[in-house]
Amino acid sequence: MILAVAWRNVWRNKLRSFIVLAAVAIGLFAGVFATGFYKGMADTRLKTGIKTEVSHIQIHMPGYLKDKEIRRYIGKSDHIIDELIQRGEMEGAGRRLIAECFFKTAHGTRGLRIIGIEPEREKNVTDIFSRISEGNYLEGNSKIPGILVGNKLKDKLKLRLNSKVPVDIVDANGNFSSRLYKVCGFYTSNNTGYDEMTAFVKYEELRSQLGFSENPAHEIAIYLKPDVDVGEMKQKLADEFPVLEVKSWREINKDLAYLVESMDQYMFIFVWIILLALCFGIINTMLMVVLERTKELGMLMAVGMSRFRVFVMIILESVFLSLTGGLIGIAIGYWVIKVFETRPIILEIFKGFEQYGYSSEVYTNLPFQSALKIAGLVVMLGVVSAIYPAIKAIRLHPVEAIRTE
Amino acid sequence: MFILETKNLHKIYDEKTVPVHAIDGIDLSIRKGEFTAIVGPSGSGKTTLLNLIGGLDKPTEGDIIIEGISINSLSPRRLTDFRLRNIGFVFQAYNLIPVLTAMENVEFIMHLQGQSKKSREKRTVGLLQAVGLGDRMHARPAKLSGGQQQRVAVARAIASKPKFVLADEPTANLDSKSTENLLDMMEKLNREEEITFIFSTHDARVMKKARRVITVDDGKIVSDETK
Repeated sequence: MILAVAWRNVWRNKLRSFIVLAAVAIGLFAGVFATGFYKGMADTRLKTGIKTEVSHIQIHMPGYLKDKEIRRYIGKSDHIIDELIQRGEMEGAGRRLIAECFFKTAHGTRGLRIIGIEPEREKNVTDIFSRISEGNYLEGNSKIPGILVGNKLKDKLKLRLNSKVPVDIVDANGNFSSRLYKVCGFYTSNNTGYDEMTAFVKYEELRSQLGFSENPAHEIAIYLKPDVDVGEMKQKLADEFPVLEVKSWREINKDLAYLVESMDQYMFIFVWIILLALCFGIINTMLMVVLERTKELGMLMAVGMSRFRVFVMIILESVFLSLTGGLIGIAIGYWVIKVFETRPIILEIFKGFEQYGYSSEVYTNLPFQSALKIAGLVVMLGVVSAIYPAIKAIRLHPVEAIRTE
Repeated sequence: MFILETKNLHKIYDEKTVPVHAIDGIDLSIRKGEFTAIVGPSGSGKTTLLNLIGGLDKPTEGDIIIEGISINSLSPRRLTDFRLRNIGFVFQAYNLIPVLTAMENVEFIMHLQGQSKKSREKRTVGLLQAVGLGDRMHARPAKLSGGQQQRVAVARAIASKPKFVLADEPTANLDSKSTENLLDMMEKLNREEEITFIFSTHDARVMKKARRVITVDDGKIVSDETK
C-alpha cells in the first residue's frame, strides 16, 4: 500500500513531476546515446585495428617488436604456417616480411613501412583486400611488381594508378637495394596514419629484394575464429613455440587495448556526471515535496506511521520519479542506438579523427547489460537524491507539523 | 477501571527564557465508553492536554497511564507503535491522504497495523457504511464535502480498534448541519460500540452532546461535570 501511496504522490503535482521526468529522460537519453555512440566508435576502431592492422595474434623472433632489425626473422616459416593453417581455431594465418623503405616520387620522398604479403593467405587474416578503393589487390604478374598504397599517401605524393615508384631499402646483407614498383591499387583502412605509412607488395618480391634465399618471415599473423579465446590460444602457441615470441593484439597494440578497457569507464563517468547534475534537481524537488506535505507527514507520524516507513515512502517517491524518467530516456536512447546499429551516423567533423584510426562512419552499439547497469544507476540516483529530504521528513515533530498551514 | 489516567501532569514551554505553564498539574481519569469534552478558551491548554494524552508530546513532569502502561517511559519507536494500536486521532482539518480514496484512507491505518487485506476490506466497508458513506467509498477527499471528510477521518480513527479516540476540535471547520450529523454519528458509535471519545472543543453543540465536560483554564482543570 505504501508503494501505491508513493506512486500516486509522484503525480500529485503533475506539472512539476513532468518537468523533472523530462529532465531525467533527456539526461539519460543523452547519457545512453553518448555511451552507445562512443562504444560504437571504439568498436569500429577495435575491429579496424584487429582486422586491418594487427590481427589477433602475432609471432616474431624474440625482441623483434622492440628492434625491427631486418635479420631478426623466423627461418622455417613454411613449416609453421602450414601447421597453423590446419588448425580448426584459425580463420587464417599469413606470413609477412617487413622493411622500412624510402619511397621516391616527383612530389617528394617518404619513409614508410613496406610489408610483403601472400595475397591469398592474407585475405584470411586482414581485410585490406576488401578496402581497395581503386585498382586491384596485388593481382596478376607483370614485369614491374605491383605495390598497394594507402589513399592518404596517394594524396600526399599525388600518385596515380600505374605510377612507377622506386623503393629503396637496406637488404639482409646490409646492402642498399632499389627496386621499381608500379602502383596497382589504393586502399583505405579508416586509419589515415596507417594508410600514410604502410604499403603492401607481394611476399616473393620483397623476399628477393631483401636478399633472402629461404622463405623467412618477420611476422606471422593469425586471425582466430569468433568463439576462440585470444588469451588461451596465445598461451597455447607460446607453449608450442618456446623459442619464438607470441603476442596477442592487446600486447602489440597497447593503445587499442587501453581504448577498450577505458571506454566503458569513461562512459560511466560521463553518465555519473549527468546523474550528479540530475541529482540536485531531484533533491530540490523532493525538498519541495516534504515542505508542501509537512502537515500530512505530521498526521501520518501522529497516527502511528513509523519514521522508517515515512523514510521509505519518500525514497520510493524519488525512485519512482527518477526511474520513470530514466526508463523513458534509456528506452528512447536504446532504440536510437538500435536504429543506428545497422546504418551509420556519418560525421564529417570526425574526418580529422581518421588519422588516429577512428572512422567517421559510426555504427552505434550498446549491450543490453550496459543499459541495465545505467537503469541500476538511476535507481541509485533516486535513493541518494531522496536521503536528505527523507531525513528532513522524519525529523519533523508531529505536533508542530500538524499545526503547519 | 480507568483506561486513561494522568497524574500531576505539567507541560512548560520555553523553560529557559519565559516559562509558560501550558499544563499545570492536571490529574484526570477516563473510563471506557466515556463521551467527554475538554473545553476552555483559546490558550487554556486543551489541545496541549490532548497532545500529551495522545503521546504526541512529552510532559515536563507527571505521568500518563493508558491501561496500566506509562507512555512516558516508552521509546519514540515504541510510542509510535503504541499510538498506532491504542489511540485514534481525529484532526480539526480532517487530514486525510489526498491521493487515497475514502476506503483506502480508512484501510491505510490497518495496513500499518499489519492486518490482512481481506480483514481490512471487510472492516473498512462496515465502518464507512456505519458513518453513512457507503456510497462514497471510492471517492477521493477532494470530491467529498468537509462533513464527509470528517466522517472518513472518524472511520479511520476507529478502524484500528483503539482504546479511545482523541478529537481535536473536530467540528471547527464544519457547518451546523454537518456538525449535527457528525456528532450524532459519533454518539451512536459511542453508545452502540462503546467507543471512548475525548474531544477538545469550544463548540457549544459538542458540549451539549458530551456526557462529561471538563473545563480547562490556564492549564488547570477548573470544573469536571458529568451529566
